[in-house]
Amino acid sequence: MKTKCISRADLAALVADLAAAGTEVVAPVKSRDGRALDYRRIGRLEEAALGEVALPRRSLKELFLPASEVLLRYRLEKDDVAIEEVPATFPPLVILGAKPCDAAGVEVLDKVMGWDYRDEPWFARRAATTIVSLACPGVDGVCFCSAVGLSPDATKGADVLLVPAEGGFVAEAITPRGEALLASKRFAEGEMPVEAQAARAAAKEKVARNLPAQPTGFHDWLGERFDHAAFKDIAQRCHGCGACASVCPTCHCFDIVDEPEGLDRGARRRNWDSCATCKFTLHASGHNPRATQNERFRQRVMHKFSIYPRRFGEVLCSGCGRCVRACPAGMDLPEILGQLFRDAGGAR
Amino acid sequence: MNLYQPQLMRIEEIVDETPDTRTFKLTFKDRNVAAGFGFRAGQFGEYSVFGEGECTFCIASAPTRKDYIECSFKAAGKVTAALRRMSVGDTIGFRGPYGNSFPVDQMKGHSVVFIAGGIGLAPVRCVIWNVLDLRKEFKDVTIVYGARSVKDLVYKRELEEWGARKDVRLVQTVDPGGQTPDWKGEVGYVAAVVEKVAPRSRDAFAVVCGPPIVIKLALPVLAKLGFTDDRIYTTLENRMKCGLGKCGRCNIGPVYVCKDGPVFTAAELKELPPEF
Repeated sequence: MKTKCISRADLAALVADLAAAGTEVVAPVKSRDGRALDYRRIGRLEEAALGEVALPRRSLKELFLPASEVLLRYRLEKDDVAIEEVPATFPPLVILGAKPCDAAGVEVLDKVMGWDYRDEPWFARRAATTIVSLACPGVDGVCFCSAVGLSPDATKGADVLLVPAEGGFVAEAITPRGEALLASKRFAEGEMPVEAQAARAAAKEKVARNLPAQPTGFHDWLGERFDHAAFKDIAQRCHGCGACASVCPTCHCFDIVDEPEGLDRGARRRNWDSCATCKFTLHASGHNPRATQNERFRQRVMHKFSIYPRRFGEVLCSGCGRCVRACPAGMDLPEILGQLFRDAGGAR
Repeated sequence: MNLYQPQLMRIEEIVDETPDTRTFKLTFKDRNVAAGFGFRAGQFGEYSVFGEGECTFCIASAPTRKDYIECSFKAAGKVTAALRRMSVGDTIGFRGPYGNSFPVDQMKGHSVVFIAGGIGLAPVRCVIWNVLDLRKEFKDVTIVYGARSVKDLVYKRELEEWGARKDVRLVQTVDPGGQTPDWKGEVGYVAAVVEKVAPRSRDAFAVVCGPPIVIKLALPVLAKLGFTDDRIYTTLENRMKCGLGKCGRCNIGPVYVCKDGPVFTAAELKELPPEF
């Protein structure tokens, strides 16, 4: 699709235009102590920290599947209940400077949210949102996007991809929604010399060294390996805290609970949940189909690399590495995948 | 209206099946919803108490009985305890029906053997009444039902009714030690009683439900009697939240119980990893 250019000054003007038009803008923003990034609302471009190597602490997932979302409100009346619908209408939102792995994660989740039953809150937010990714300037020791078919400048899930250039960015429209954004007068026709080509090539090479690409047929191979040695001693390390799931761009398991807001009213909410926790599958009878942490961690790996790919044709992982960085016990998904990839590759 | 919004139902009748198991008869409060509602034998729903949460049960009544549904539950957790506190006239929420169903049409012209343990009779009861309401379309109907003890047998009034019918062969059993002095049924585990009763497998389907141990022990007995794995049906219960294939909780390996199930053949069960 179409490619245009935008200077830093024009990008700042674009953010101001959007804000003036009532469009919310979210971008990576430095935390108060300056040591971490978070995706947060901005009013001016200067608030954003674009082009940092580090990933925001949490992914874009929460902008489409909030950690706690009201599904409906109820009011108890005499001998009756009144249900108040929660409107699924959302103001337009532009996400500026999304990490390509985070944008990809959102698109991967469209599959589960849309098969058969359509999850309206998810798709209403998707329809209101334009995702502007920014090519990743570098990677750390645990990123592994290239192992799952992505790259530091992947366009999957993005409406627009920005690539840093001298004095600004080259902007490529990926979708019609992206083209609509590029129609703004702030984007200019013409070319801009893309900067740091060598650094981006180096980033691609480095991420490929962290974990090689998954072997072909891996999903089917893994689906037959419930007894693989890689899952044997997991319980000795994994605490089952679920931190990996909460920072993950693609973990989407949720619980549905009622939360009273007074004696006669309250909300039914869906809250993020994690297959790592011990009560996730516990039956009322006391029986638990996944009784140990080995089985629970295996479920996470299976869901991402066998179940989801076999059902939806997509790996449920964008290789962002957040699960490794967030884990208090040093669980290392790319390390485990490396072991599985080697075995799967050697098996054929 | 979003997917997660329930319809309101009124509790019309409450029956205490056992000291800890209760059955609700429910009707939709909105006439239009009632008129548009239908389901197939074996499907399930999400029942809710507002302020407490949602809970998954099969629909225990038969699709041939219009205008109402029934569910049976044990008070085991927060929501079921709250359901137990409710009275006739109270309002609960219902989402559904969800999931696949028993192949009742395919079973027509055949004999059907029903095997259930404990509260596992609830989903089986749905198929039993479906079959009995269309009795002429089926050959022999055999029901083997067992519970831990006499007081744990559910649907006692219906057991009496089925026992009195000439076109139904009902065999009841309780686990050893669970009998009372006046108990006239069998004493022994369900699978052993099935072996003793030895229903004919020719032109027959088997429907099995109960705690995992009942299913596990009944399958080899049925195989011995000549039932092939594609003629044995069961229904699985895994913990669920959405019932819509989204929340990621009920899967057994690649299979989502809420969408691919809850009804499975024995052949399908054997393909699953041991996570149920």
